[in-house]
Amino acid sequence: MVGIVVVSHSAKIAEGICELAAQMAAPGQKLIAAGGMNDGDTGTDAFKIQAAIEAANTGDGVLVMVDLGSAVLSAELAVDMLDDEIKGRVTIADAPILEGTVAATVDASIGQSLVSVVAAAEGARELRKR
Amino acid sequence: MTKIEVVLINSAGLHARPAAQFVQKAAGFSSKVTIYFGGKTADAKSILAIMGLGLGQGSKIELTADGPDEGECLVALKALVDGNFGES
Repeated sequence: MVGIVVVSHSAKIAEGICELAAQMAAPGQKLIAAGGMNDGDTGTDAFKIQAAIEAANTGDGVLVMVDLGSAVLSAELAVDMLDDEIKGRVTIADAPILEGTVAATVDASIGQSLVSVVAAAEGARELRKR
Repeated sequence: MTKIEVVLINSAGLHARPAAQFVQKAAGFSSKVTIYFGGKTADAKSILAIMGLGLGQGSKIELTADGPDEGECLVALKALVDGNFGES
């Protein structure tokens, strides 16, 4: 299964999104929160994201969901720091973080490929609430 | 195309876990599956589309399936709903 990493400036947001998405995940689905800084401050930490990606990888690739601004830069830096063998199987989605994570989790949980899981996450951009 | 009507009897309706189970079941078939409710439609293989319908307990939905395995697909989805999504 494709693993999923949720990157937010807030640890609580990242954990909360994972908590909700886990309700819709198959057993064994990797869903890892990488929010906030190590000292508890708000922010994003490339090392923490890197470790989360490594933990989420079971061989089928990893989707990284990000929130605002520098979360993207930290995630890109984290991907750059990965070993080459994992690097090619990691994608940072351009998608709303909550809706995208939920859609991606359901897709990943039925064993879809990384390309499909990324498309599910990015498809959440089209969602109208009403 | 085959069409059936089902009533959601489980307490949560088609949200979160039951919705995901529904998508996972539908995704196992090649037929296109559509849910009709209250004048809205949703692709049954899209979790966000299904959750957007706001289906609670007692909602009566219409399901259509179109494809080579449409009959089997609707039987499986109806069994999931009638079986309360495994809720006790």
